[in-house]
Amino acid sequence: MNRPDIFLSRFNKQPNDYTFHNMGNQKLYKGSLQTIILKLLESNDKMYGYEITQKVKELTKGELKITEGALYPALHKLEADGLLDVEVAKVGNRLRKYYKLTESGSKETANKLAEMQEFLKTMQHLVNPKFSLE
Amino acid sequence: MKLTETQIAELYKFTRKHYVEHYDVQTELVDHLANDIEQNLEENLNLSFEQARDTSFKKFGVFGFMNVVEAKQKQLGKKYNKIIWNLMKEWFSIPKIIITSAIFMIFYILMSLNINHNYLSILMLILALVDVFLVSKLSKKSKQRFKEQSKKYLLEDMIFRMGAFSSILVFSNLLQLSTFLKSSPSVYFKFFVASLITLAILYSYISLIIIPQRAEELLEETYPEYKRVNNL
Repeated sequence: MNRPDIFLSRFNKQPNDYTFHNMGNQKLYKGSLQTIILKLLESNDKMYGYEITQKVKELTKGELKITEGALYPALHKLEADGLLDVEVAKVGNRLRKYYKLTESGSKETANKLAEMQEFLKTMQHLVNPKFSLE
Repeated sequence: MKLTETQIAELYKFTRKHYVEHYDVQTELVDHLANDIEQNLEENLNLSFEQARDTSFKKFGVFGFMNVVEAKQKQLGKKYNKIIWNLMKEWFSIPKIIITSAIFMIFYILMSLNINHNYLSILMLILALVDVFLVSKLSKKSKQRFKEQSKKYLLEDMIFRMGAFSSILVFSNLLQLSTFLKSSPSVYFKFFVASLITLAILYSYISLIIIPQRAEELLEETYPEYKRVNNL
């Protein structure tokens, strides 16, 4: 049923459910946000928040758009966990905060990517058994 | 099109209006909004600055900047606790452990002596009053500090406010506890109460005196922009 009451629908929704823009299947991607961020930082040395959203959009040809309301909390969480380090630079007339991987961040990235590969392989077996080689 | 100095200042005000109080959090959001606004203006030349800004803000969802602020608070709260923890550990290693155990022994022995337990309650009251005095001194200092400077960092706010709040809480609970003291408490109870009092004293000393003293050092370490902005 569609709720006419805008307030109810607004507060029933967990803020974290809103991770990506305009995605019907965003639930599928939700758990991967951290891995995506770490992977991007691994291949780009240092990046700022806006750059990350743009890069994801570009790499996925607009298929995946990270929301602002999810990106920064994820970045701050990773920073709190000691996986990211920050740098601030003056760009034009404003300050810009860059994120980069710490040493333990690099290790964690490798772990997360391995987990992701494993996950993809398992799903492949489940969803599409005839294409699996084993 | 690049945003002007005035428009950037406008964006700082905009974040403030949307409940982002601290300069460090504002700065990151302002840069993000500015990038997105510039992009919006490039794509649609007819947009005004305000329209482009509102489009960008909408992308943060119905909760606005709330999620970002919350995550930042959590992150720095963790950091603050870590700072306290590291300073606390010092008091349990040589040489400071001598002072720590002395404080512990004083309270333990006091409870073991066969004196009226009201004296201990009075002593607790005195400690609590000292605590209140330190808290009010710190809050005066923080008021002064935040009046003089327009930019307030989140960790700075925690350094000058959190300690006050939690140490008052700790001592009011201890005061309650001291009313439970009987004339001849058991060894475990004495051990427990003396440890609690010792920890409370250390905690208050660290959060009300040591950490505010080291504020500049801690802020410079946390915020790469801290020194630069304050020298502008």
